[in-house]
Amino acid sequence: MAIMIQIPSALRAECGGVSELPTSAATVRKALDQLEETHPALYRSVCDDTGAVRRHVNVFVNDVCLDRRGGLGQKLEPGDVLTIMPAVSGG
Amino acid sequence: MADRIVLCLGTKKGLFVAEAAKSRGRFELRGPFGPGVAVYSALVDRRRSPRIYASSCNAFFGMKVLVSTDLGKKFKETKSAPAFPKKDGRAVLNIWSLTPGSDSKDLWCGVEPASLFRSTDGGNSWEMVPGISNHKHAKEWQPGAGGLCMHTILNDGKRLHLGISTGGHYISEDGGQTFQAANNGIGAGFVPDPYPEFGQCVHKIVGHPDAPGRFYIQNHGGWPDRPGIGVLRSDDHGHTWYSIADGLPSDFGFPIVVHPHDPDTVYVVPLEPMTRTCPEGKPAVWRSTSGGGKWKKLTTGFPKKESYFTVLRDALDIDELKSPALYMGTTTGQLWIGRDGGEKWECLFESLPPINCVKVAVA
Repeated sequence: MAIMIQIPSALRAECGGVSELPTSAATVRKALDQLEETHPALYRSVCDDTGAVRRHVNVFVNDVCLDRRGGLGQKLEPGDVLTIMPAVSGG
Repeated sequence: MADRIVLCLGTKKGLFVAEAAKSRGRFELRGPFGPGVAVYSALVDRRRSPRIYASSCNAFFGMKVLVSTDLGKKFKETKSAPAFPKKDGRAVLNIWSLTPGSDSKDLWCGVEPASLFRSTDGGNSWEMVPGISNHKHAKEWQPGAGGLCMHTILNDGKRLHLGISTGGHYISEDGGQTFQAANNGIGAGFVPDPYPEFGQCVHKIVGHPDAPGRFYIQNHGGWPDRPGIGVLRSDDHGHTWYSIADGLPSDFGFPIVVHPHDPDTVYVVPLEPMTRTCPEGKPAVWRSTSGGGKWKKLTTGFPKKESYFTVLRDALDIDELKSPALYMGTTTGQLWIGRDGGEKWECLFESLPPINCVKVAVA
């Protein structure tokens, strides 16, 4: 069973309009690194110049929000859903 | 044929474009483009068929550069935006300046944290310029209230001038390879040394093609113990500076603009240094027609009281028609036009989002 990356509507223009992308990456970090290769514009919207997930973007594995400092190393299993979402913010 | 006034308004909530005939009668407003996202810099690039560039600094999804090839009716993102090399350790937080370079597709871009990027393909790819981005002073520059920003990039023949807040004024005399601090006479009110080698909070620098070597600075003035350091002039390509603030109600302000046809005519918007608003709530633009020798207050059309405008560093511009008009945006969302070189002011738009930058061109 594939691992799916769910893309928020605000970023779908960066990946041809699709709402999800499959990955076989072993960790969240590797999934993001794959995005950098396959969908660089989408990657740049999720990660900053240093490779860190942007301050106002959250990444979930299934229903759990990752800790940016260590969570990107979390392993992914077949059937997992990695969801990219804008954080609650505004002004 | 260049027959339209095109006005780019970078706001807290996106880019607006206003357009009018040269008579400057009715301005038609379009936008916001990049809705909801702050725009701090815009450029109407007329070196080939006109293009409008604008930064779009998305708090969620990072930096974008927008481009329009139809005078601001539609915008798309360029293929990439400035970004530091991954191993550098810095991340671009804002885009503060977009300036034409030496050939038709060459662009300079100043960002926060203060660094310079260059594109040679019209903004589709960018490379960091190490001569200033990795300058030995860079680690000692400090952010001002707006962040550590490179807000001014000026071409001066083979020289390139940069304004950094707070870093000061830097010059390259080899086309952008190497840079030297050039702050002799530029004061600082926030460090013990009143005239440090670098680290000044320069707010804006302008020059004029008909007066090579002459530049004006709106510096961070308003210091009671160090008066007169806020508005300065150089006549030697920025190597030395002297005060031209005498006669102004305050030497604090953000923008400074030069008349398109007369390098002796310069405009500033003095602000009260504590509130950063018009002194006594009475808006005024001040004009010198003597290169800073004397100043005249321009108020016709502005409210006479209870109007505490703030005008940011890039929120004042002037068009290039025979009798030019100024355009001034406020952080309370008004866009003012100052016809006849600022003699008569009129509010074109009353309730835009807070305005960060105003750029005008005849295109």
